[in-house]
Amino acid sequence: MSEKVEVLKTKEMQELEEKFAMLVQTGRIDNIIDLLAVVSDNIEMTTAPMVDKMVGTIDNLATAGFITQNAVRYANREIKKNEVPSLFGLLKLLKDEDTRKGLAFVLHLTKGIGKQV
Amino acid sequence: MKKKILIVGGGTAGTMTANNLAKKLMYEIDKDEVEITMISNSKYHYYRPGAMYVAFHKASGHEFVREQRTLLMPEVKFLVDEAIEIDTNSNYVKGKSGTKYSYDFVILATGCEVAVDRIPGLKEGGNWFYSYDGAKKLAEKFAELKKGRVLVTVNFPKTPDVPHQCGIAPIETTIMLHDYLKEQGIREDIEIIYTYPKVAQAVTDGLFLQGPTSKVLPSIFDGIGVKYKTSFTLNKVDPEKKIAYSEEGEEIEFDILMSTPPFIATKFIRESGLSKAVDDEGWLPTDKKTLKVKGYENIYTLGDTVDLPVSKAGGTIHNQTDVVADNIASEIRYGYPTESYDGKVIAIAQMGLSCGMPLWYDYKEDVQPTPCSKLGSFVRKGFNMGIYWAAARGMV
Ligand SMILES: Cc1cc2nc3c(=O)[nH]c(=O)nc-3n(C[C@H](O)[C@H](O)[C@H](O)COP(=O)(O)OP(=O)(O)OC[C@H]3O[C@@H](n4cnc5c(N)ncnc54)[C@H](O)[C@@H]3O)c2cc1C
Repeated sequence: MSEKVEVLKTKEMQELEEKFAMLVQTGRIDNIIDLLAVVSDNIEMTTAPMVDKMVGTIDNLATAGFITQNAVRYANREIKKNEVPSLFGLLKLLKDEDTRKGLAFVLHLTKGIGKQV
Repeated sequence: MKKKILIVGGGTAGTMTANNLAKKLMYEIDKDEVEITMISNSKYHYYRPGAMYVAFHKASGHEFVREQRTLLMPEVKFLVDEAIEIDTNSNYVKGKSGTKYSYDFVILATGCEVAVDRIPGLKEGGNWFYSYDGAKKLAEKFAELKKGRVLVTVNFPKTPDVPHQCGIAPIETTIMLHDYLKEQGIREDIEIIYTYPKVAQAVTDGLFLQGPTSKVLPSIFDGIGVKYKTSFTLNKVDPEKKIAYSEEGEEIEFDILMSTPPFIATKFIRESGLSKAVDDEGWLPTDKKTLKVKGYENIYTLGDTVDLPVSKAGGTIHNQTDVVADNIASEIRYGYPTESYDGKVIAIAQMGLSCGMPLWYDYKEDVQPTPCSKLGSFVRKGFNMGIYWAAARGMV
């Protein structure tokens, strides 16, 4: 006499099956398959040099963001601490090495922009 | 009165913590109540894992170096000076320059260093990728290698339950070597033998420092024709005859010996009187939760210099840094620490030249190996090439 074999399903498997059934019934499963195919193709088509370049760009943006954010905060603090400098006071500011370095940077930055416009 | 926080060491741990602290304490900094100072013995900051890529001709090295000042927020005062002494009664660290840096809180983050001299003949006969100079020498040897045997050996600190720097690096580099030799078209002519010492942190007679990974390694190595041998505790090298000897009485000949050498804490820490680690290894006795040096209320530590049973890795520091920064900020604000480290380590292992394996573990749970993937490798490479610098700046 043949015995009826019962396949035991775990609670998790049953839940998964119900969710999948709904996706199949509503036709949405096709979207998921499409999505997986797109993701999979994109991974296949991405090359190591592409990743290098992309990350390089992100790094440059992050560096620029870091410098700008810090500089703005610093400038805000100094402006709040001190009175608005007179013309002579501005000249005195120029005596400071960091100020001159920053100013030279801004001038080079301006030149860099000039080369592109 | 203004609180002084001193950070010693401008590596991964010091840099992340300095920036995280500056962010957390910005209110107090604005009010001139807190001052953060960092001293480091180098003007430069090295992304250390980059050395592995140099060993296999995938980078020249300069990609992974930046000026330390550019990685710090302007609120952090940075000085190049080497710490030579700490006085825990008068609360100051003395620099080589003669300056005494006083502190209310100090963070010791000087990392660790290779101690090849601790194994006779290793300096002359072996090679290692744990420094850029070492990796360059290894790269030159690999470039000349046409046939023969590469022997991989791993050493552990004598202090119980403390790992060497970056636990997964020996496996990563063994698989990278396999891929590299295949790329060169000479894999068939070169035998790779991976060995592991008898006692490796908490594991005995294994191939890795944690059980689950140790168990899956044989099948991974079989798949790529890497031979393996456990219980090979390197204790002597004959550089002329090119033979490696083990404590267990075995010997293996080699053409290139790619070794994970013994590691110790830096000289400053070893001589600080703070450590009681065996064999003068210098690991700092660290409270596993608060990350304070045991017995001291105002000394914190993190990164490679601790004696905790977690990996000496950037992926560990990324989780420790917020605990240290939060605790110091709370001590300043409320008078007691509020955060606790759970031992979490997150990393992506480079399993070969184009496969990456994300992994995590903590005090309670070992790494559960997962399949490596191309996507994982992209994330790892992305980290190497850029995300690391954002992480060091406290941006991610
Ligand atoms: C080849 C290799 C591969 C790795 N792979 C990975 C990986 O895949 N994933 C991962 O997460 N981690 C990896 N790591 C580990 C990671 O790089 C280290 O864990 C991390 O750099 C440790 O940071 P640290 O700040 O404790 O020490 P370090 O980064 O070594 O910094 C120590 C700093 O202290 C300074 N210093 C030393 N002595 C003094 C003194 N007396 N006075 C003042 N300053 C001093 C040094 O100049 C340095 O700036 C790898 C490491 C290597 C070498």
